[in-house]
Amino acid sequence: MFDEDEIVDDSLEPETVQTASKNEVDSELGQTRMEVAYGAGDGDDDAKAVVARKASMGVLYEQIYRPWNGQLGPRWVRNYAIFRHHVYGIFSSKGHRHYNPFVRLSILVIFLTSLTPIAMIFLSVTISGGEGSDWLNRMWGVNRYNLWGQVLGYFPRNLCMWPLLTALVVGGMISDDRKNGTSAIYFSRPVTRTDYTAMKYLSSAVVLGFVIVFSYMLYYTSAIVFNGEGWAYLIDTLPMFLGGLLAGILLVITYTSIGMALSSVSQSRFFAAIGFLAIIFGTKIVALMIELIFETTIFYILSPYDSLAHLGQWLIGIPANYEHSLALSIISVIIYNAASVGLLITRVRSLEVTRE
Amino acid sequence: MDGGFVIETRDLRKMYGPHLALDDVDVQIPQGAIGILGPNGAGKSTFFKCILGLITTTSGDGRVLGYDIKTEGDLIRSRIGYMPEYDSLDPDLNAIDQVRYAGELLGMSPSAAMQRAHEVLEYVGLRDQRYRKIESFSTGMKQATKLACAIVHDPEILICDEPTNGLDQRSREFMLKTLRRTVDEGGGTVLMSSHVMDDVQEVCDRVVMIHQGNIVVNRPISDLANQIEKEVEAVIWGGATKMEEALISHGLKVRRMGRVMRVTIEDENTIEQIISIAAKSEVQIRELREYEPDLEDIFLLIMDKLGARVKGTSELMTSEHTGGDRSV
Repeated sequence: MFDEDEIVDDSLEPETVQTASKNEVDSELGQTRMEVAYGAGDGDDDAKAVVARKASMGVLYEQIYRPWNGQLGPRWVRNYAIFRHHVYGIFSSKGHRHYNPFVRLSILVIFLTSLTPIAMIFLSVTISGGEGSDWLNRMWGVNRYNLWGQVLGYFPRNLCMWPLLTALVVGGMISDDRKNGTSAIYFSRPVTRTDYTAMKYLSSAVVLGFVIVFSYMLYYTSAIVFNGEGWAYLIDTLPMFLGGLLAGILLVITYTSIGMALSSVSQSRFFAAIGFLAIIFGTKIVALMIELIFETTIFYILSPYDSLAHLGQWLIGIPANYEHSLALSIISVIIYNAASVGLLITRVRSLEVTRE
Repeated sequence: MDGGFVIETRDLRKMYGPHLALDDVDVQIPQGAIGILGPNGAGKSTFFKCILGLITTTSGDGRVLGYDIKTEGDLIRSRIGYMPEYDSLDPDLNAIDQVRYAGELLGMSPSAAMQRAHEVLEYVGLRDQRYRKIESFSTGMKQATKLACAIVHDPEILICDEPTNGLDQRSREFMLKTLRRTVDEGGGTVLMSSHVMDDVQEVCDRVVMIHQGNIVVNRPISDLANQIEKEVEAVIWGGATKMEEALISHGLKVRRMGRVMRVTIEDENTIEQIISIAAKSEVQIRELREYEPDLEDIFLLIMDKLGARVKGTSELMTSEHTGGDRSV
């Protein structure tokens, strides 16, 4: 049942409201509402009947503008927001950039696969003393070739894992903003194009670095821990580890640069992903065919992977698989990075805030 | 702010190669609701980009909220809210996360941005939809989300580029009411660009008209209406062309829209003259009344004087403005 006060419209005159409530609650007159309504009892002429009035529907939504007097943070706060939005999305898409569950699952699988040598080192330690243990240690233990292979080995890492990882992570970084027009959200705020590009680049590089470089570091650390190695081992192997680390960082930078540049030229993340895979595999295949026919490795400088692999072999200190000069591979890596970053900057500069 | 103006420009010029987009624009815009009008390609978007400090101007100066548009673009943008004309939302995000992220991009802390996102989404009428993905939103809800992103930091100036694009009547009314309330209760300034003159008239007190890169009008709407010559509107039946020719031959100024003719009142005898001409021309006058000019008439008259051949503001609209085939 409705309370009478609720039914009474706000527009009722105060006098009427007073009378109505008085009739209901004031016992001095000795009247009930029924008596008033049906005219029974004394004082009938003075009484006022309580009649039904149109009930107000009430207000469910009241639009009120609330001012905000907070302080806006400095530049690094804005930049960190971009970084966080893209990196946290890998772990939880709730509230951050959405990565398709398939993409997140693929990244997890690639990361776990890159850690398989750790499991093999652990196995070799567990069955220590036997022939099997030695074989396992040779195959997966820390040495120059294995350190190089952990980052720059072609199969499976640079054939299946790293290019796919890059394509999945970097593909939509800028193309999604072009497609959805979300660049307007960035550039209508105090975010400069330099900050926007740098933070997107850094976010991609950190995700790639987490899988490629972090797994490499974990591999080296695990070998020391599982084998109970001391300082002498550390001093012996640290230079080649650092060489591999540098090669890994160069790989992350180069793949990120190429991927970001491709992402900035189209509105489709699919184009960027396929374009990246085409560059990595296409150049490799062309160079391989030329090597098989003409017996020259010079065309491997067209392949970003092979240029990095050549450079990595020199950094770690293993014999090169390539006949051409290392300088050409270094120049190739520099040109790939410079051209990609140049293209990226040009394309980001053309992103519009008013319309795309 | 100098002299109480939130936006001031002096000899502001912007050229894209050989194309002149803004031609020595001198404008002073006070606080309040201001409509920015002009045909397509007039320079509205370039003007917005200039005052947001997003593009380098070819020459001239400008200050927004006292900040130099050439050197202090980031400070300007932190105090301005911009609601773009086109889609600018991530369809994979929830509305609350989109607005929170928009706040974080301004430098708000995550907790403050989240708190504020709840407030502004309630303000724009999306309280119950704030956890829904934007891809499932109607055009009206997307427009409201864009508005929420723009006002998340309680800006001093809110720039709305075609805020009623593609909205149905109910959503449009709500959007316009919300913009007006933002000025009245928020105490800020709204710069609204629209091709729908009724919308501008409903929200704005003042209009700035841009034509071929020049500011041709910068006045309160009430002043403009008074400037326009009084007209009488006659609905003609049975020979509108004949009637139009006869009116012109008698030295009267006529604007014809099909069978409707608007004739400028020259003196107290004009109405009698029209009736007499109709009788001589043997046409019927079905209706005859004094005509109150609205903003669309003012716009069309000014454009006509400037030589821009625009028959109606609907000509300036694309399917983006009307919502195309989408149902809302």
